[in-house]
Amino acid sequence: MSEKVELVHHVEAINWNRIEDEKDLEVWDRLTSNFWLPEKVPLSNDVQSWKTLTDEEKQLTMRVFTGLTLLDTIQGTVGAVSLLPDAITAHEEAVYTNIAFMESVHAKSYSSIFSTLCSTKEIDEVFRWSTENEHLQKKANIVMDYYQGDDPLKKKVASTLLESFLFYSGFYLPMYWSSHAKLTNTADLIRLIIRDEAVHGYYIGYKYQRALEKESPERQQELKDYTFDLLYELYENEVQYTHSLYDGVGLSEDVKKFLHYNANKALMNLGYEAMFPASVTNVSPAILSALSPNADENHDFFSGSGSSYVMGKAVNTEDEDWDF
Amino acid sequence: MEKQLSVPRHTIEPGHDDPSTPEKFRGMGYHELNALLNLYDEQGNIQFDADRQAARQYFLQHINNNTVFFHDLEEKLEYLVQHQYYEQEVFDQYSLDFVKELSKFAYSFKFRFPTFLGAFKFYTSYALKTFDGQRYLERFEDRVVMVALLLAEGNEELAKEIVKEVISGRFQPATPTFLNAGKKQRGELVSCFLLRIEDNMESIGRSINSALQLSKRGGGVAFALTNLREAGAPIKKIENQSSGVIPVMKLLEDSFSYANQLGARQGAGAVYLHAHHPDIYSFLDTKRENADEKIRIKTLSLGVVIPDITFELAKRNEDMYLFSPYDVERIYGVPFSDINVSEKYYEMVDDARIKKTKINAREFFTTLAEIQFESGYPYVMFEDTVNKANPIEGKVIMSNLCSEILQVSEPSKYHPDLGYETIGKDISCNLGSLNIALTMDGGDIGKTVNAAIRSLTSVSDQSDIRSVPSIERGNSMSHAVGLGQMNLHGFLARELIYYGSEEALDFTNIYFYTVTYHAIQASMEIARERGETFAGFENSDYANGAYFTKYIEKEWKPETARTAELFEGHHIPTQEDWKKLAADVAEHGMYNQNLQAVPPTGSISYINGSTSSIHPIASKIEIRKEGKLGRVYYPAPFMNNENLDYYQDAYEIGYEKIIDTYAVATQHVDQGLSLTLFFKDTATTRDVNKAQIYAWRKGIKTIYYSRIRQLALEGTEVEGCVSCML
Repeated sequence: MSEKVELVHHVEAINWNRIEDEKDLEVWDRLTSNFWLPEKVPLSNDVQSWKTLTDEEKQLTMRVFTGLTLLDTIQGTVGAVSLLPDAITAHEEAVYTNIAFMESVHAKSYSSIFSTLCSTKEIDEVFRWSTENEHLQKKANIVMDYYQGDDPLKKKVASTLLESFLFYSGFYLPMYWSSHAKLTNTADLIRLIIRDEAVHGYYIGYKYQRALEKESPERQQELKDYTFDLLYELYENEVQYTHSLYDGVGLSEDVKKFLHYNANKALMNLGYEAMFPASVTNVSPAILSALSPNADENHDFFSGSGSSYVMGKAVNTEDEDWDF
Repeated sequence: MEKQLSVPRHTIEPGHDDPSTPEKFRGMGYHELNALLNLYDEQGNIQFDADRQAARQYFLQHINNNTVFFHDLEEKLEYLVQHQYYEQEVFDQYSLDFVKELSKFAYSFKFRFPTFLGAFKFYTSYALKTFDGQRYLERFEDRVVMVALLLAEGNEELAKEIVKEVISGRFQPATPTFLNAGKKQRGELVSCFLLRIEDNMESIGRSINSALQLSKRGGGVAFALTNLREAGAPIKKIENQSSGVIPVMKLLEDSFSYANQLGARQGAGAVYLHAHHPDIYSFLDTKRENADEKIRIKTLSLGVVIPDITFELAKRNEDMYLFSPYDVERIYGVPFSDINVSEKYYEMVDDARIKKTKINAREFFTTLAEIQFESGYPYVMFEDTVNKANPIEGKVIMSNLCSEILQVSEPSKYHPDLGYETIGKDISCNLGSLNIALTMDGGDIGKTVNAAIRSLTSVSDQSDIRSVPSIERGNSMSHAVGLGQMNLHGFLARELIYYGSEEALDFTNIYFYTVTYHAIQASMEIARERGETFAGFENSDYANGAYFTKYIEKEWKPETARTAELFEGHHIPTQEDWKKLAADVAEHGMYNQNLQAVPPTGSISYINGSTSSIHPIASKIEIRKEGKLGRVYYPAPFMNNENLDYYQDAYEIGYEKIIDTYAVATQHVDQGLSLTLFFKDTATTRDVNKAQIYAWRKGIKTIYYSRIRQLALEGTEVEGCVSCML
């Protein structure tokens, strides 16, 4: 990660009163009102639940989270930043800086989970595992390569696939646990991450589609082929990664369906048709229902903070409000 | 914990593929079936049958295989008593034949859980399990019988009455009672404790101990911090020594998370602070998203006590003064919490001996709303409204973890070794709720209320919290109970009445009016039977008759034809009835200092199959998340694909109608009602403030959580998801 990221050459003062693309403001507002820090979630309430997992399940969970940490690190320090020079509007740049920052918050969140649930020795071991797992490393390398390329649209494709597809083999597990009443606070934290990633993938995909409209038909075709090639390359690797992680607990088949589902979702964000037919995307309803990024659950305040609160918009009261 | 759940695979038990399972549901686990409830089918209908199937499969796949088998009841009881699962003393009050008869009676109702969540919640959290937590020893009927045996204290007739009311779903005792009754290894039967903290180290130390002791025994604990001197106040006349309320909150928070009731229920606590306490802003800031770890409060609930004067100051857009509790107590000779701030405000402002700071009153309200957006807290108690409506002598200075308990208290004094110099009066309350729909269906509101009040009174009589003498004293003086209500929205929707409509308000008013009459009647009868009243009855508005004026002088009757129709076959108390009751009360007194309090009813409304409290539903299909359950989906009661219109959720209904509903109920309830405010994320702090002003003007006593719902950004939602749709 020592490659130099190209800097923006020309800067103008950003004027939020002159919005060129309303979507920038809409997404900015959404991202800022969604701001959160891992300290908000009482992860320590999961310690008892963690102890009920078998050693194999614990190891799986830690590995999954390390994999996610790596992806979020890439996205925070390289991915979102590498999109900056290609931004068309100043507001788009601002959104990317927010995305980059939140990705770093995400990466740190996994560390909060680790430090709450595991010992230092276990943590060091699993980080070593992450540097040695070929599928995980391959995944990281593929994405890194594209980020360092110089085609702005291809970078957006890689970024969208990362946000909307690659994370989900990892997100599966905490959703699975929480639907079985395990690690529910950890799942809350992950759901906050999913809430963010859903917006990130959507936004970058949206920017891709706007840029794509301006390209020639040949170039459009080239990018489409490229997208499907890249997705397929990532998919093949992801399948192997999934098997290496989930075979031991017998969940691989269901995780793969989840991959298909999210691959289609990523393509949809980029404006393309689905790649996988409905017959292989029938994810377990327990997972699908848990995935909803709406902040609408009616949680029990006494056992966690939930994932539904947002930053409020302060508006002063006026005399008429106090008319009594 | 359930054994199966720890194995992360979809276990398909034998019998699961039996021909009676509809084709489309075969091969699915109960969690998946339950989650289908949140996904529309191909025709766009909500899959209610999937949830019923989930409940069925939960029994077939899990419960039946994991329940310990006994040949008969006798063998079972003998085993459970011998092995220290049940308390022998409970059975000593009855003959074995009667226990058998009662059990048979309970089973004769053919009880079935209406939803998966109801069954799941019951078996996960309430049913007696083997000590290794692996197998179930009780079904729902057994739990109900144990509750009845314990609460009837040997009175066979009452025991039958309680079984009938509970198993029919009309009366549901609160969690601590329902969970613990009759178990040998158990926590307390009481739900809720409220304690004062005075401005000295002994009181703080004693409070930490109380927090530990009471959490260990179950139930939520609330503390009033109002009397603690502010940060920077002098200690032994040396300035800038005190560190204020925040470190005390930290200590309490850690105490609560340390103690839990045998793992059954996480310790939970709340702290209340007066709006005119100098630490008010730092108190609120502990819930900020970006608060420093050192001061951040995660699991403790916060409440703010607001007097009328604060609203007056905000109306005039003036500054509000905050007063040093240390100085106030020095000058007035009573703790800050016992001062009527609205009355003494200007006197204190003009008194140079009281150190004060000022903040802008409107800014205070904006800050309050900001924090509510970020965290759902603080609760609010409208101090003057509460005290004006309080029929008991003394001052109410705080509420509790669910903001429905409102009782008077007295301070304690301690020796340096934490022994008591004077034992004060602290508060406990045990709760239970009626299912409005089933109570109306049952046809005899008086009988149901009577059984409920007697059950709750029995809990108070059997509670003896020796670890906290001020609570013990308070309980034996007051026998306070809190009868609540739930399933209002479910009932209204079933009757095709919109929540918050004129007919709905009319119904709510007459219903609460009727319940109040019967509750006082029951308490008077208990006093007459025992020749004993609560301490201080003679100084209450019940004794001097002031309480009854509004019922005797004004006629209360249904205003709408629809409500009159709903009450057909029920007797609505008349002015004459009230006159008679007032006279009886004057003669015999009342046994319970407090009778009603409407709690938010989380868990028990799921088991009971009702909507929570008298709130509107949060969602047609509610996503319930809890530590012990994970994410589970719950359909609103009586809802089908035809009457969906009447199941508008709280966010659609808006705060006015909710507050209107609570306002008509509030006028009949001697304590409080947990009122949650619901906002869409397009709301601003100004909207939250408007709601607070509206609530205060309508005579609402307390506001519980504020909930914000944010919908997924268009384009990022999960397709076909019921809870995503508006």
